[in-house]
Amino acid sequence: MKKVAIIIPAYNEEKTIGSVVTELQKTLKNQSFDFEIIVVDDGSKDKTYPIAIKSGSTVIKHIMNSGQGAATTTGLSYAAANNFDVAATLDADGQHDPNDILNGINIMLKNTGFDLLIGSRMLEIKDMPRSKVLGNQGLSFFTYLLFGVKTTDSQSGLRLFSKKAISELRWRATGYEFCSEMIWRAKQAKLSIDEFPIRTIYTDYSRAKGQNNWNAFNIIKSLMRSRIMELFGE
Amino acid sequence: MSRYLILIILNTPIVIAGLLNALVDYKTKKYSRKKFIIQVVIWLIIFVSIALTKFIYDQLFSNHLTSTEPLSLFDVIEITGIILVLFMANRSRIKLETIEKRFNNLHQILSIRLSEDENRKTRK
Repeated sequence: MKKVAIIIPAYNEEKTIGSVVTELQKTLKNQSFDFEIIVVDDGSKDKTYPIAIKSGSTVIKHIMNSGQGAATTTGLSYAAANNFDVAATLDADGQHDPNDILNGINIMLKNTGFDLLIGSRMLEIKDMPRSKVLGNQGLSFFTYLLFGVKTTDSQSGLRLFSKKAISELRWRATGYEFCSEMIWRAKQAKLSIDEFPIRTIYTDYSRAKGQNNWNAFNIIKSLMRSRIMELFGE
Repeated sequence: MSRYLILIILNTPIVIAGLLNALVDYKTKKYSRKKFIIQVVIWLIIFVSIALTKFIYDQLFSNHLTSTEPLSLFDVIEITGIILVLFMANRSRIKLETIEKRFNNLHQILSIRLSEDENRKTRK
């Protein structure tokens, strides 16, 4: 039976982490694959860690806060060390529908040949605030300009990885800019990238926790720096 | 001795060190072929610019594109200093990024190992 790792990077998510894990467990049980939910607690100061443990997930606690990019890398390294066939990452704020995750896993398990499958919120835009739409489109455009990879939602947290991507795909960024860098590194590693439509559940909480549009400038700055510095060696 | 010759003599060792470092990093697989070529091109551009300083100055001056004085000994030292600082900054940045990468890996491995123990205890 195939093994699937569900990786949830979480930082101060005590309000949602329990329900996110429980909903996933309900949706993914009795499927044709084994799964393990791995919460990577990125040094939270609230009760994220005990709640995640209580919900029955495997919890990896970062000794110190390192950023969402670093937490995702930790989750993938765990998946690689434990020989998982597919890995999925999602946000801990409850904005993703567990059925979309199941849909993505099924696509990956059908041997479609995709190494990185991105759940795009922009293929069927519903209920997304206009500012978020603009921010996402802008960052996807910059990702294309800098790295030459066309995606409709370069910042989506819902992603699926093949076994090859689990072991080979790594990035340097530790913050939010890892989303775009990951796509770039996948292109460099000649991994196949595709997208599938997902819906987004917007609550007051997820709106408040999500990225501020102004942060897009920091992300673009970091990406440009990475692109230029790549020329000068690692 | 010509000041332009002094400029070349002072900077050639820095350029050679830069090229050698790039070659060693490529051979020890720290650099990809693409990065190695870019490093070589950068150092060659610096060397050619230094070697052709007099020619460039004469061309600019005769075409009335500059009215500055010819190279002084102070300028020679200043240019050498700038190139040396560039060389050192590039090496320091590479070292810093290597340390950062190692530190991140260490943090990651340590977090996974400690959490595995913790998860085992919780499941018991």
